[in-house]
Amino acid sequence: MKQLSIVDLSGAVVVVALLALTPVLLNSNYFTGVLTVCVIYAIWAASWDFMSGLTGRENFGHSLFIGAGAYTAGFLATVWYANPWYSLPTAVVVAIAFSLIVGFPTLRLRGPYFALAMLSASAIMQRLCLIFWEYSGGEEGLYGLDPLIQSPLHYYWFVLAILVAAVAILTALAQSHWGLLLRAIRGDEATCQAAGINVTFYKIASLTISAAFAGLGGALYAHYQLQVSPPLFSVVVSITVIIMVYVGGIGSIYGPALGAIMLTLLTELLRTFGEYRLWVYTLTLMLILFLLPNGLIAPLWRRLTERFR
Amino acid sequence: MSVILDVKDLSKRFGGLTATKNVSFSLEPGELTGILGPNGAGKTTLFNLLTGFIAADTGSVLFEGQELRGLAPHKIVNRGVARTFQLTRPFLGMTVLENVVVACLSPRARDAHDKEARAQELLDHVGLGAKAREPVETLPYGDLRRLEIARALATKPNLLLLDEPFAGLGSREIEPLAQLIKRLHREQKLTILLIEHKLREFMALVSRVIAIDFGEIIAIAPPAEIVRNPRVIEAYIGKTEAAHASA
Ligand SMILES: Nc1ncnc2c1ncn2[C@@H]1O[C@H](COP(=O)(O)OP(=O)(O)O)[C@@H](O)[C@H]1O
Ligand SMILES: [Mg+2]
Repeated sequence: MKQLSIVDLSGAVVVVALLALTPVLLNSNYFTGVLTVCVIYAIWAASWDFMSGLTGRENFGHSLFIGAGAYTAGFLATVWYANPWYSLPTAVVVAIAFSLIVGFPTLRLRGPYFALAMLSASAIMQRLCLIFWEYSGGEEGLYGLDPLIQSPLHYYWFVLAILVAAVAILTALAQSHWGLLLRAIRGDEATCQAAGINVTFYKIASLTISAAFAGLGGALYAHYQLQVSPPLFSVVVSITVIIMVYVGGIGSIYGPALGAIMLTLLTELLRTFGEYRLWVYTLTLMLILFLLPNGLIAPLWRRLTERFR
Repeated sequence: MSVILDVKDLSKRFGGLTATKNVSFSLEPGELTGILGPNGAGKTTLFNLLTGFIAADTGSVLFEGQELRGLAPHKIVNRGVARTFQLTRPFLGMTVLENVVVACLSPRARDAHDKEARAQELLDHVGLGAKAREPVETLPYGDLRRLEIARALATKPNLLLLDEPFAGLGSREIEPLAQLIKRLHREQKLTILLIEHKLREFMALVSRVIAIDFGEIIAIAPPAEIVRNPRVIEAYIGKTEAAHASA
């Protein structure tokens, strides 16, 4: 299918190098932590974009997979005292299981069922965490997780490496025939069926891939915060991820990843505005989404590099 | 005599409306058959029933000896029954070639090594080869019809269902498209079932006409006879004449 251009590849190398070196130059554990969160949000945004951006089926409960991954890490650490490295593969498996439970009944149907089911499933999980507080730790959640890697800088590099791998894999898939089918599903499901394509299979499979990376990001987040709590399942997390995708440029994978990094950094930088922070943030978002309905980063990159293609 | 498609007692109601009523007919391999009927007669519904897009209430659809009723649309396509839509439905945001590649990825067609090359061949075949790299949005209506046919052919059908392929086309576009359909039929020994609501277009094209009115088959005969069939004249030609007169 499409060839990855030299321009895109060079751009990626520059951005990754910048991301990798910035914390070395700044040499602040606080800022390294901020960047770690940026990069984890980038994994969540890219994984959301793979399913919803390509197929057009909006997932309003990505936090279901994020929370499932994070709580998996939490339970492994606090109940089974497992080696923290088991968290990552286990979180992936659990997130995939959740995607199948929600995807199977709802992605067969057209209409808003999938979006609503994802929204409700994540809200229900948040409630369940409070109801079964003896096991889940209630409001406080689970704490006392071990870090995967002691040095914050090394952990940041590890998470960044996972982001690079995630974006590479998801982009390769999105540009393959598989991605073509997902875009066809976004266009017209009936035509897809008339073309002999099993639409339900591709929708569920893409949700599963999306969930796997979201759950992985959830576990990475848990081992960064060293604790997990119910708001991980909240609608706020899901909406935040969706906004990041739209700002980055939906359907491009790399755009949402960079959109996530940009917006997370923005929230941090706006701390200087004190109590007006939320106002400034919201205003910036509204301006971007209003003036650039296709997003900021991916369209801008395409415009800038047009001449070199 | 062998039969490729055997439809028996197919019926479908939408609430109080019987859109298909006890429809039975069969097709021989390699036949080019027309379905005739005024707007709203239930022609598209019949296609939807045959291709699984709508579930039939009763009846059976045997294709190459196997029951199709109850199968999902994509499964029916992969058994070898492809259709086009009356209102063309391309995948927007893609090139003309990509539109056909999608169908080349269906399980029945997947063994082709190079999907893009096969899609290009199919586009050449329907006369769209030169436009393969263009965005599908740039195609005029007549070309979209050809694209629909290329996409259907990409699934390697044994039976091709064409829903009003001439609708909305000017007289200069109709003749070449009819030639294309004739060529597919002749060269690929394809069995074709073709819907048309205007008599004239396919009189010279098909060997047999199934006339439908109010969801029911009112006559099955060669075109030369169908125009003289009193029920067809009463139910169909009279109506269109009246419609033309009032238009
Ligand atoms: N999905 C549907 N739901 C309800 N009524 C339908 C549906 N599809 C078709 N109909 C009705 O069935 C009748 C036959 O329609 P159709 O098969 O499209 O006719 P034709 O293709 O011969 O013009 C029409 O009265 C139409 O309104
Ligand atoms: Mg019709």
